[in-house]
Amino acid sequence: MDLPMLDATLHAFAMLVSGDGALWYIVWVSLKTSLVGLLLAAPPAVLLGYIIAMYRFRGRRIAIWLAQAALSLPTVLIGLLLYLLLSRRGPLGDLQWLFSQPGIVFGQCVVALPVLLAFTLAAVQGLDPRYAETAVALGASRWQVMLRVLHEARFGVMAAVLSGFGRVISEVGCALMVGGNIEGQTRTITTAIALETSKGDFAQGIALGIVLVTLALLMNGALMMLQGDAHAARERG
Amino acid sequence: MSISIHTSISAAVYENENVPQRDERRKALLGVRGLRKRFHEHHRERLLFDIDRIEIATHGAYVLTGANGAGKSTLLRVLAGLERAEIDSLRFACEDVLRVHPYPRAMREAIVYVHQHPILFSTSVAHNVGYGLAMRRVPKDEIARCVAEAMDWAGVTHLEGTDPSKLSGGERQRVALARAKVLKPRLLLLDEPTANLDGQAREQVIALIPTLVEAGSSVVIACHDRDLIGLPGIQRMKLRDGRIEYR
Repeated sequence: MDLPMLDATLHAFAMLVSGDGALWYIVWVSLKTSLVGLLLAAPPAVLLGYIIAMYRFRGRRIAIWLAQAALSLPTVLIGLLLYLLLSRRGPLGDLQWLFSQPGIVFGQCVVALPVLLAFTLAAVQGLDPRYAETAVALGASRWQVMLRVLHEARFGVMAAVLSGFGRVISEVGCALMVGGNIEGQTRTITTAIALETSKGDFAQGIALGIVLVTLALLMNGALMMLQGDAHAARERG
Repeated sequence: MSISIHTSISAAVYENENVPQRDERRKALLGVRGLRKRFHEHHRERLLFDIDRIEIATHGAYVLTGANGAGKSTLLRVLAGLERAEIDSLRFACEDVLRVHPYPRAMREAIVYVHQHPILFSTSVAHNVGYGLAMRRVPKDEIARCVAEAMDWAGVTHLEGTDPSKLSGGERQRVALARAKVLKPRLLLLDEPTANLDGQAREQVIALIPTLVEAGSSVVIACHDRDLIGLPGIQRMKLRDGRIEYR
């Protein structure tokens, strides 16, 4: 009996176990670009989320609306916009980031930013405002208040970072458009899965899929542990 | 239940003082002229209070009474600089304060406000008590000494390393008072410190109040508690129909 899916799956496990260089390089590129993009996006996104949550200013509601709307932007559209920006004739063409890893990092930054911002905004808004007031009443400066509030909202902020990572590691549109899916350079897990599947080579696609699912399980496990800690803290309170 | 407070505020503060010292102590620490607070609700403006004058004397102890919703907590929050209001003029420690939103840093550090239900940060009790000192960049060994002293004063030394979320209401209030006292504030604003406390927890908190004045702070307490209102040497302010009545 011919079982192509079973064969492909067994081959996929064999590739993972044997330490297939090309496959693990793809995983490495994905992890590197996602983590660097996330790390670059996190400070400004958390800061913006905090500012929008804590301060009342003209246009605040519009800022919240835009941040939440950006969550549902398809990554392929973000990829298109960045392609136009980074293409040779685009305003950022001189950087020569198109079809390069820095280009993917830039894309991951833009993809992660709304997730980090919206989740941080929700976490800080959900915190009892008396935390900030108490810090102010005890003489904390604006920066000290921010550090205290973010510390108290740390479970929500960490959940934001984990969700941001989940979004960038699993997105395909932006990495494909900005990175170009060049073998050995800008091929990521998701772009490789799309390519190998279209070529009919399911084994590498399944192997990369297993890596992606494992990462997703690890991320969600960490998120659940955080949420468990947060619930426990609330119950104790 | 009756309580026994052995410390008389006036006696503790003014005893054995000569006249110039006494006059110095009686000087106004905080003077506010023309204080108005308006709210916008359902597209209508509501004037919560319109107060001609508030004078808080150095080493003064006051209770601020009034019906629920009269604006006691809001007034304390305004005086603490936590909430905006219209203020015609404000003097603090004999100096005109030109910028009241926000208060200058020196003034913010001199005034401490304690919530009715105090918030304790999710660190240890000792870290909570030392938080304000750390924000003022006081050296660590000095913080440790002051924290130990304040915790001893509040009777919470045994809770030093405890997770604040495990404390009872009375313990939380005493930790919050220790956290305020350790800063040696010139003005301490307490919002219903005995609300929701009963029995021994309430008595312990009430017993701490006169010693705060002894330690050098002026204290304003928003409350309904008859035992606090009846403390010796305490002056009464009543917020009624948006105005302050002195008694």
